Amino acid sequence: MKKLIYILLAVIVVTSSACDRNKVKNAGELNTKASLPASLNFTSLGYKVITSSINKKLGTMATLYGNKQALADAITGNGGTKPGEEFALITWKQQDDERWYGAKIPGELQSIERVKTGAEGVVDYKCFDGKDIVPHADTLHNAERTKYILSQQASVMP
Amino acid sequence: MPAEAKHSMKTKLLLAISILGVCFILIQFVRPNIDNPPVKADFEAPAEVKNIITRACYDCHSNQTNLRWYDKVQPVYWKVAHHIKDGRKVLNFSDWKSMPIADQKGKLWESVNQIIQGAMPLNSYTMVHTEAKVSPADLVVLKNYLSSMVHSKPADTAKTNALDKQYKKWQNAQPAQTHLPTEPNGIAYIPDYKNWQVLSTSERFDNGTMRVIFGNDVAIKAVKEHHINPWPNGTIFAKVAWDQLQDTAGNVKTGAFKQVEFMIKDDQKYASTKGWGFARFKTPKMVPYAAGNALFANECVNCHRPMRNNDFVFTMPVKH
Repeated sequence: MKKLIYILLAVIVVTSSACDRNKVKNAGELNTKASLPASLNFTSLGYKVITSSINKKLGTMATLYGNKQALADAITGNGGTKPGEEFALITWKQQDDERWYGAKIPGELQSIERVKTGAEGVVDYKCFDGKDIVPHADTLHNAERTKYILSQQASVMP
Repeated sequence: MPAEAKHSMKTKLLLAISILGVCFILIQFVRPNIDNPPVKADFEAPAEVKNIITRACYDCHSNQTNLRWYDKVQPVYWKVAHHIKDGRKVLNFSDWKSMPIADQKGKLWESVNQIIQGAMPLNSYTMVHTEAKVSPADLVVLKNYLSSMVHSKPADTAKTNALDKQYKKWQNAQPAQTHLPTEPNGIAYIPDYKNWQVLSTSERFDNGTMRVIFGNDVAIKAVKEHHINPWPNGTIFAKVAWDQLQDTAGNVKTGAFKQVEFMIKDDQKYASTKGWGFARFKTPKMVPYAAGNALFANECVNCHRPMRNNDFVFTMPVKH
């Protein structure tokens, strides 16, 4: 009799623990692949989101941040700039979202582009590549990229 | 043990077993009523897809419940009846076509995601009804069907116009309304979300939207310290969704604002919804989604259930 009860209990324990298939594999983890290097201390800049974008051909996604003046100008959307605006465009390679079939999320960090406007129309552009934020050597596209970043319209956020 | 004591022990045991046996027979006559109402707007899909869905879901999520004799033995039958009642309430494939087309699509993606994550069909059900199990090969069929529904193409003028109209209004809007819209669960619109830091972004090719997920200071601190399972009380997420506005070169920018959704962590206050208060405000008019929809709280929790060992959160935070 006792034996029988033990066997029954064992069967219940084994089946109930073995059958919980619903477990997220990477539960509690951060997206380390996409995370920004700590040395950048990005949050301390206090930038706000201006807009975000996707490039379906390249499989990348980007978020444009800026300081208060930059955001205000992007909302006005008249294409002009004033001194003291700071922008940061962060671009990631996309990866499939393991938690939702039908979504893509940031993967490998690709680049950080920074634009600062100074007095008398002086604009400073810098680009850094990858997780190690290596300064981008090729300056051929600087003017084109600056123009692109400054022309971005803000996303509607009521 | 003396022979007499052993004998009385045996009698007691026999008595207990007989009482249980009588109870077992008696409860067979207390039977919940499970009927199969007429099927009015059944789910339609190619046969190979329909077969999988029927096999895996229809016993609890349609009016075509097929009970086997062992489902009808009490006390199991009570549990079965309960599951069917709840299952039909959440999703009924027999009423499928009575949903708007966009909702049908959304529900199908959600259903397949529930299967992918192993949340559905329920383990307790597939343990007995092994034929309801969804195999990896079945999943490929379902995923391919969903993928065939995705059409990535440049935005039409309607989408562009929708953004332009919204944008002009928003540009000139007065900041901070005095009376902010509120969900029935008491959660009011939080206009400050746009000043928070970002947790992640996502491209939703299942429904043609793109999103930014913001976190308040509590959330950002939790990410910095990597204490996110569970998230601390006071955490708030704001997930903003826009239309995708694609050009001919495959560049996508944000189109019209669709909605903002909030999740507020308070394991006491929101204990009935797994420790999270859910809210969704649609369009720039910030229309509370749950107004006139009492099932909203359950809808959120049900969809988030596959993430239950991740504190019911889908977003994987990017450290900024």
